[in-house]
Amino acid sequence: MVRGRRGIIGFAALLQLLFLTACGGSSASPAQSITLYTCVNDTTIQPVLTQYQATHPGAKVELFRAPTGQLNARVASDIRAGGLKADVIWGCDPLTMQDYVGQGLVGGWTPASEIPATVRTPDYVGVAMLYLVAITREGVEAPASWPDLASAGKVAVPDPNLAASALGALGFFGTKFYANLKDHGAVQVGTPDDVTTGVAQGTYDAGITIANSAYAAQEKGSPIAVSWPKPGAVAIYGPVAISKTTKNAEAAQDFISYVTSREGQTVIGRAGSYPTLPDAAGPEKPNGAPIVYPDWNALTSQKAALLEDYAKIFGS
Amino acid sequence: MGAALFLALASAAVLVVIPLAVLIKTSWVEGRDRLADVVGSPAFRSAVVHSLELSAAATLLAVPVGVAIALALRDRQLPGRAFWRAAVLLPLLVPDFVLGYSWLRAYARAGLTSELFGLAWMQIQGPVGVSVIVAVNTVPLVYLIIAVGLATRAEPTTERAARASGAGPATVLRTITLPLLAPAIATAAVLVFVLSMGAFAVPQLVGAPAGFGTITTRIYADLALGSDPQGFVEAITLALLLVVVTLIIVTPAEALLGGRLQLGRMAARDTDWPSSSRTTRVIVTIAMALYLMITSGLPLLALLSASVTRAIGVPSTPDNWTLDNFLAVLTPRTGQALSRSVLLALAAASILLMLGTIAAALGRTRGGRSVSILITLTLVLPGSTLAIGLLIGYGRWLADTVVIILLAYLAKLWALAHRPISAAVDRLPSAGLHAARVSGAGLPTALVTVVVPLLRPALLAAWGVCFLTALHEVTMSSLLYGPGSETLAVVVLNSADLGGVGVTAALSVLITAVVVLPATALWALGRTGVRRPSAFSPGAWSA
Repeated sequence: MVRGRRGIIGFAALLQLLFLTACGGSSASPAQSITLYTCVNDTTIQPVLTQYQATHPGAKVELFRAPTGQLNARVASDIRAGGLKADVIWGCDPLTMQDYVGQGLVGGWTPASEIPATVRTPDYVGVAMLYLVAITREGVEAPASWPDLASAGKVAVPDPNLAASALGALGFFGTKFYANLKDHGAVQVGTPDDVTTGVAQGTYDAGITIANSAYAAQEKGSPIAVSWPKPGAVAIYGPVAISKTTKNAEAAQDFISYVTSREGQTVIGRAGSYPTLPDAAGPEKPNGAPIVYPDWNALTSQKAALLEDYAKIFGS
Repeated sequence: MGAALFLALASAAVLVVIPLAVLIKTSWVEGRDRLADVVGSPAFRSAVVHSLELSAAATLLAVPVGVAIALALRDRQLPGRAFWRAAVLLPLLVPDFVLGYSWLRAYARAGLTSELFGLAWMQIQGPVGVSVIVAVNTVPLVYLIIAVGLATRAEPTTERAARASGAGPATVLRTITLPLLAPAIATAAVLVFVLSMGAFAVPQLVGAPAGFGTITTRIYADLALGSDPQGFVEAITLALLLVVVTLIIVTPAEALLGGRLQLGRMAARDTDWPSSSRTTRVIVTIAMALYLMITSGLPLLALLSASVTRAIGVPSTPDNWTLDNFLAVLTPRTGQALSRSVLLALAAASILLMLGTIAAALGRTRGGRSVSILITLTLVLPGSTLAIGLLIGYGRWLADTVVIILLAYLAKLWALAHRPISAAVDRLPSAGLHAARVSGAGLPTALVTVVVPLLRPALLAAWGVCFLTALHEVTMSSLLYGPGSETLAVVVLNSADLGGVGVTAALSVLITAVVVLPATALWALGRTGVRRPSAFSPGAWSA
């Protein structure tokens, strides 16, 4: 028995060692360090952080980045384990952010900025735009208007249960549009990126996806065309908000002020996302491309009913 | 056994009971009002039916195939036997989230077969495709467990005696080999069933276009729109229901299995299996080649071509080849993450080997059986939900550290380490262990000197499976990591999400390369094992 106990002590020592090495890496953060939770991918977020830290000596941003689903899970777990650990949340759609506001997690402050009122509320400011556009495979006629998409062959649509951008589109188009697509043989896949991949590869002839993803694939050489059908590409803004429980309010506000400033917006544009500041340069967008804006307030209350109706069309 | 039992129960408490209790509490306290709605909804019923269909189909496909391969590969005169044995394990190298893509790229419309031969498999996007892909990817595990079972359980002398007495190969198989393998087959079937119930990436990618939603894909959807507490709690409730449904199926199977394991035979000492005829060998070789070409060759080729091609949808000709995807994976950040992932996987696999052995050593005692059931719970619990349980349970102290990621790997993979070992362990000469303990050897010494040498193939298999799985794990790490604890898959997927197929393919190729080194080392180790007068070489993992 004595020897057996020695084994346990050894195991405990091993665990202790792991704890120590792990803690050594993450402690000792400077006073001006903030934690940012975001679903924006590294292509955009890394240049923004690099630029911010370079122009703000002493500022440090600790980053947790994950797709929206994981981000939600992380936030929800934080709340149940002592409180939100983020000082700032940079989300990918207004619905998610509105939910956080509703739970009293974020909001209460936004900086003065030239960003238009259409993409801000008293609790959060839109700093980047997503546009849902149509893509067609080489040889397939691009739809001039959204209803034309139904006759573009085998069509793939993103799942509004997985991607808030797709939910925004559902809110704008209504379920009839999807029922018609389904009647013409459309299928539902996962995320907008899955649509881009599937169309580029030839699994589908056309689809609905986000402009960044489509142009990025096109630029690399994928045989797809991007179109902004009438009445317009569906715009979804990614908002940023301050945590209500932050202990570094000053540093958090400083970061939010930066990403909503002209300088920050320019960096976001250069990094490959569409800025929300109207005249800041961003990625490719056809001249005079038509754009439509879903009514996010209405969507917040209709979400459940919409998804239920939608499930009857592409249900699983 | 007191210390072993204490250690096993303490570890199970930390790794399984606390995270599960946290989840149950969250689900009950915040979601009990809606429990009836969740369970009663038609969507839930269809998800349960789909999950059960998928798991039943995958089990019925994977087990016979894995058994057949293990039996075919024990023939020492089979040409290229060492190669086949390594090649069967190929699917283990590819992370789940790329497997689905590689199959679509290989067989779906406009895929590889369609480019080469004008043939596309239209049903791949749907229940049939999902079942086949999930099954194919669990075949290596079945093969390993059966091979270990053959090494430790089968009785070549009895088989030869039967053959000499005039029994045909089919009779020998039916009356001697398969009955002896029954515990190993049952273990493999339970494991495949549980893994298929928890499978997420393949149903999501391949099943969704046909509206084939499972419990796991519903959990994912709930989390994706789970910024309101209701979705989050429903995801947890669904995950717990998944565990309950799995338990309802698996527990009776385990109870039936328990009785059969009480056979007290001596371990086999003869490696001289009855040889099959020349014709059989030719047929087996052709069948193996075809099977591997279809299940691994073409999908992996599709993946390789995606990793070196500059864009999706352009022909993979030398003009379009590029190293960009690899350069995107190989940055200083990923270098650090890679070494962290390798260390984590090494630590996890080694600790798991210990935990798996301890649980197996407890055997069929009541404590052992409880531990065995407990660790099956975290195997079936979807990674995202297990990570949530750990975060809520330990996040206050351990969030953002590698420790919490390590705990997640240990919790998720303990059963995967335990099963192959326990499938072999009940043939151990318990007298030897007892003798060692009586002569004053402590439990560790007794284990190392008596048990380990006998169990080497099982231990190798368990360690290898855990190492590979931990190396490319992404679901849990992407929820648990923090600054300074990113794993390789997290860094790569954060840069591209799952849409950057070229980069993701390059990641898989890189991981494959990382794995080939230790695998070769293990292979060499296994080879030296063959030459020893051991009972286990015929079925050794990679001998």
